[in-house]
Amino acid sequence: MARRAAEHPKPPGGRAAGGLPAAAADHVLAAVPTLWLAVFFLAPLGFTVVFSFGRSTFGGVELAFTLDNYRTALSGFYGATFLRTVLFAVSASALCLAAAYPVAYFIARHTAKRRLLAVLLILIPYFSSFLIRVMALHMLMSRGGATEIVLNALHLHEGPLDLLDTQTAVFIGMVYAYLPIAIVPLFVVLDRIPRPLIEASRDLGASRLRTFLHVTLPLSRPGIATAVLLTAVPMLGEMVIPKLLGGSRGVLMGQAISSQYLQSQNYPLGSAMAVLVLLAVAVMVIALARLTKGFDEVGA
Amino acid sequence: MSAALRRRLPETALAAWYVVAVIFLFAPILAALVYSFNTGVVNKQTATWTGFTLDWFPAAWNDRSLRRAVGQSFVVAFWTALVSVGVGGALGYAMVRHPARGVRRLLAGVTYVLLIVPESVIGVSLLLFYAVTRIPLSTATLVAGITPLTIAVVALIIRARVLTLDRRVEEAAADLGSSRWQTLRLVILPQVAPALAAGAVIAYTFAFDNLVVSAFLTTPRVNTLPVYLYGSLQYGPSPAVYAAASVVFVFTLLMLGIAGLIYRSSRRSPRAALR
Repeated sequence: MARRAAEHPKPPGGRAAGGLPAAAADHVLAAVPTLWLAVFFLAPLGFTVVFSFGRSTFGGVELAFTLDNYRTALSGFYGATFLRTVLFAVSASALCLAAAYPVAYFIARHTAKRRLLAVLLILIPYFSSFLIRVMALHMLMSRGGATEIVLNALHLHEGPLDLLDTQTAVFIGMVYAYLPIAIVPLFVVLDRIPRPLIEASRDLGASRLRTFLHVTLPLSRPGIATAVLLTAVPMLGEMVIPKLLGGSRGVLMGQAISSQYLQSQNYPLGSAMAVLVLLAVAVMVIALARLTKGFDEVGA
Repeated sequence: MSAALRRRLPETALAAWYVVAVIFLFAPILAALVYSFNTGVVNKQTATWTGFTLDWFPAAWNDRSLRRAVGQSFVVAFWTALVSVGVGGALGYAMVRHPARGVRRLLAGVTYVLLIVPESVIGVSLLLFYAVTRIPLSTATLVAGITPLTIAVVALIIRARVLTLDRRVEEAAADLGSSRWQTLRLVILPQVAPALAAGAVIAYTFAFDNLVVSAFLTTPRVNTLPVYLYGSLQYGPSPAVYAAASVVFVFTLLMLGIAGLIYRSSRRSPRAALR
């Protein structure tokens, strides 16, 4: 969903937008969202950053400038959790991408009418309650559940299934929850690749595989970047799936942060951990921006 | 392997993979629907099928706290959709049409950041924000907390629509003496209305289902359905939960279907009128 440069055809500076002078209406339309988001989004994030350097006291916070919270957040249990979360987000996102690409490729090859139906089938589950889906997944994966019965019937597994409360279960849950989000941007990009380009490659003697590897895949890079971004970022903060499917063995950063706020009431440590997650997001964005160099910007 | 088969093999594999993905995505939903008819054991849901019953639907309806939570969710979703359409619509429009390039870039940048901050970070930040500013948690603070997530989505939908608008129509309106406000109201608003409606539906569904930000901002008095369900998990979910969720899902699908029909017909009519 890259933004094309052609969208702002006018040269920079001056009265760029259609030659109309700036009016009060324009300023109001820009000011309202800016103010709203400054109060309910940027200010809270700013508080978190400030608090991450603060000192926790009994039942309160003393504003200071200390890196102790970061030291705690990066060592021992919390450090291990942070590392595991990053590894988890990267690998689950990669798996999502691998599962989503063929699906998006398949959808993009169909005629407009069937394409709509094919996309709808992917998106409909997304409109049911997220929590209920995860709970049902829990049921399906538990002992005596449907997965166990099916796997036993297919002789792929013998006896009771001990899948719940493992990292594998969290992994399956993550891929499940974010698969549709990965499919959509990939589909949009694959859909936009001009067919003559593919045909030209085939006419010039390239095999299907070669055409895919040298034409389709490179051209779909913006979609890949968006898909990774839209899956890996929420995975970095995910707290529900690990809790429900991973039990005590699946604790990831989102849960660790929330327990600092809700249970331990150690706001500075929780804030430092939240800032670490934001830093991980920033690193990811920069890496993905490199992947799409030469294309337009990543995302949106 | 014959040449024809070899040519068809990738196609078949792709189709098969698509079917597997759809089954995978639908399986838990079907399971939730099926489990809402499962008897369970001593009022607890069980993974094994213990018999068919319709009791959970009236049980869900008679559960007062469950009903209250559903009601709260409707209220929160309604206000979130309203605010998101107003603020997100303005953002999406200004992102494309504000005369100053710097402002456009700033707005696009903020929208981008909105999309990439994990929800749990937004949630704890808002909790901290309300705690420091000593604003008591209420329905209003919950709505305000969810809006950053939905505003970005609405803004992107509006932006996509505004990009397709013919700027000359606005210039013509200006030349004919209409003020900027009049142009906005009489020329642009009707053209982006279907996109606004689509944005409202998405914001509504999103807010209704929001768990992460809501989990930090709810109180025993302000408790939405997902937060209520999440809390009830500690005691083992009652099968009534699945019954309630099934009803809400069917209701959501109906609403989306109606919204989709309205969107399609409204998109068709202006073109038909031009012919």
